[in-house]
Amino acid sequence: MTFTVSRRAALLGAAALAAPRLVRAQGAKLQLGVLTPLTGAGAFDGPRMLKAMQAVAADVNAAGGVLGKQIELVVEDDETNPEAAVRAAHKLVDVDKVPVIMGTWASAVTMAVAPVCWESKTFLTTVSGADTITQLPHQGYLIRTQPNNFLQATKHAEFIIRQGRKKVFILSIQAPFTVPTQKRLTDVLTPNGVAVVGSLIYDKDKTSYRSEVDQALKASPDLLYLNGYAPDVGVVLRDLYRADYTGAKLTQSYALTEKALQELPKPVTEGVLTVQPSADVNSPAYAAAVKRLGIATPDSYEAQATDWISIVVLTIARAGQATGTAIRDTVRQITNSDGEKVYTAVDGLAAIKAGKKIKYEGASGPCVFTEIGDITDCKFRFNQVANGAFRLVEVM
Amino acid sequence: MTAALSDVPQLVLNGVMSGAILTVPAIGLTAIYAVLRFPNFAVASHATVGAFAGYLANVMLGWPLVPAALAAFLVAGVIGVVSDWVVLRPLRPAGLITVTIASVALMIALENLVRLGFGNALRDYDLPILRDWRFAGLRVGPQQLEDLAIAVVAVGVLFAVLHLTRVGKAMRAVADNPTLAAIKGIDAAKIALLVNFVAMGLAGLGGMLIGLDTSIDPLTGFRTLLAVFAAAVVGGLGSIPGAVMGALTVGIAEELSQLALPPDYRTVVGFLAILLVLTMRPRGLLGARSY
Repeated sequence: MTFTVSRRAALLGAAALAAPRLVRAQGAKLQLGVLTPLTGAGAFDGPRMLKAMQAVAADVNAAGGVLGKQIELVVEDDETNPEAAVRAAHKLVDVDKVPVIMGTWASAVTMAVAPVCWESKTFLTTVSGADTITQLPHQGYLIRTQPNNFLQATKHAEFIIRQGRKKVFILSIQAPFTVPTQKRLTDVLTPNGVAVVGSLIYDKDKTSYRSEVDQALKASPDLLYLNGYAPDVGVVLRDLYRADYTGAKLTQSYALTEKALQELPKPVTEGVLTVQPSADVNSPAYAAAVKRLGIATPDSYEAQATDWISIVVLTIARAGQATGTAIRDTVRQITNSDGEKVYTAVDGLAAIKAGKKIKYEGASGPCVFTEIGDITDCKFRFNQVANGAFRLVEVM
Repeated sequence: MTAALSDVPQLVLNGVMSGAILTVPAIGLTAIYAVLRFPNFAVASHATVGAFAGYLANVMLGWPLVPAALAAFLVAGVIGVVSDWVVLRPLRPAGLITVTIASVALMIALENLVRLGFGNALRDYDLPILRDWRFAGLRVGPQQLEDLAIAVVAVGVLFAVLHLTRVGKAMRAVADNPTLAAIKGIDAAKIALLVNFVAMGLAGLGGMLIGLDTSIDPLTGFRTLLAVFAAAVVGGLGSIPGAVMGALTVGIAEELSQLALPPDYRTVVGFLAILLVLTMRPRGLLGARSY
């Protein structure tokens, strides 16, 4: 008796497992994988990136879908944790058999998920910034819309040149990005007549950086490039004020946050320049995202997520098939082309249907990719602190 | 990039200033070791607690520096007594290793309690920031001098209590020989309580002094733990004058190391100091039995 029951249960179970696959086949949906952090350190950005993708998918579906199919997003949580992310990626790849995974955020997560993707010929789009990610042997199955350290340092150097500074000192925390950033800054600044008068790498977690500041000021720079994190940059800024430094200071926006600005004494932060990657706020694609999402100022992450799904949908339409390899082989016909510029997935689909050659320009930037999947350009937002508040200097 | 020889006076001055602040929590650590014979890692989280108590007094209640520093001392002291009574005291019979590990757990728990209440954001005391004073080619911050004065007064009061009062002598007696002290009718449990109060209070005061020059967050105490341990070990764990010597030595050595090493190796100095002392002179500069 027991045997019969368990066999029946097994049969039922098998039927239950098989059912969704049958339903899927009949529904003729195009499934795309989403793997953003919904919990963990990325829980602020992940859900907003997901919403941005859902909004584009809804627009595309309302306009008739792609290849005659409605888009269905299969969403998994990467928990901002490489181990959980790999499990989720395997589920998307092996069970759902999606052609693309959109969304990894933390660099460590992307490093872990990328091999799962390229080995299964699944396309991956990411916002992770570490230089090493695009240097992985991913065979083209990866693009990222976030500027890497190299591009960031280039843009920072160009800003310093525009500011008319002549003597730069680089004060950095001990971190993986320190040396590559120093090198790139020097490579761009020196031929443009800006001297890098010195550089110094300091140790984190110190209660005072007086001696380090003395070292830096001895070179009498007119701009200090502060490449650290919030706790140490706060101390360095105080020590610079105490030492009567009056030149310019440039740092990443994550090292001098809105919150830190409220806490630090106003004289300490006065005049500090900050920089962050920015969405392309003047582009038609950004305007469309504002309308679609109903938010006044979508940030860089929402803009990048908008671009991923738009690029993927247009690539699938151009390739005429939804496989990871087809996306890999065709994506640059959408992003790196000299065709008619389109700014939304829906407009692009219509143009492709009309037989036109198109170039998608995104909300996050021009979305032109190098051979290894890095963007060639994007906008950066430069702010300056005035009386304890950020004031926009330029978006370049 | 390393410093030049001409920088030595300024480096020594910077080292004295940071060493003086380090003295306060280092005495806390060494005093507990002297009486209870275990390294209490929870000094780090009590430094954080003190920093936040001082922050509340200074920013929320608008108290000036000195009363806020007193609040830091008292709150950290009381929490030190309570946490020892509830967590560490019941484990003492289980031996040194158990209590030491429990103190690590206590440190993590307290730190996270602070995080629960205040979050991870950096906070600053409500004090005016002043330019440094310059004299004879050197520079020193008014805030540093104020910190130094507070540290000197705190350490001075502690020495006076230890040497001039009955209770101070009792503390030294228990530290020197608990059995003999018990025979003389000194209640070791009461002394342990008192030492915990004073030691954790000093840790809290030290946390606030560190925070005055920087910003505070739940990791404020933990960040300086290595330096505090190095100071106590270099001076001789259990020796209070040793902790003063050790803290100044570590403070100055960290700064002078910049003559030979790039600044990103500063933390190495703490480890090197511990390594050298434990190898060459395990009892520390002053030996473990001086109070």
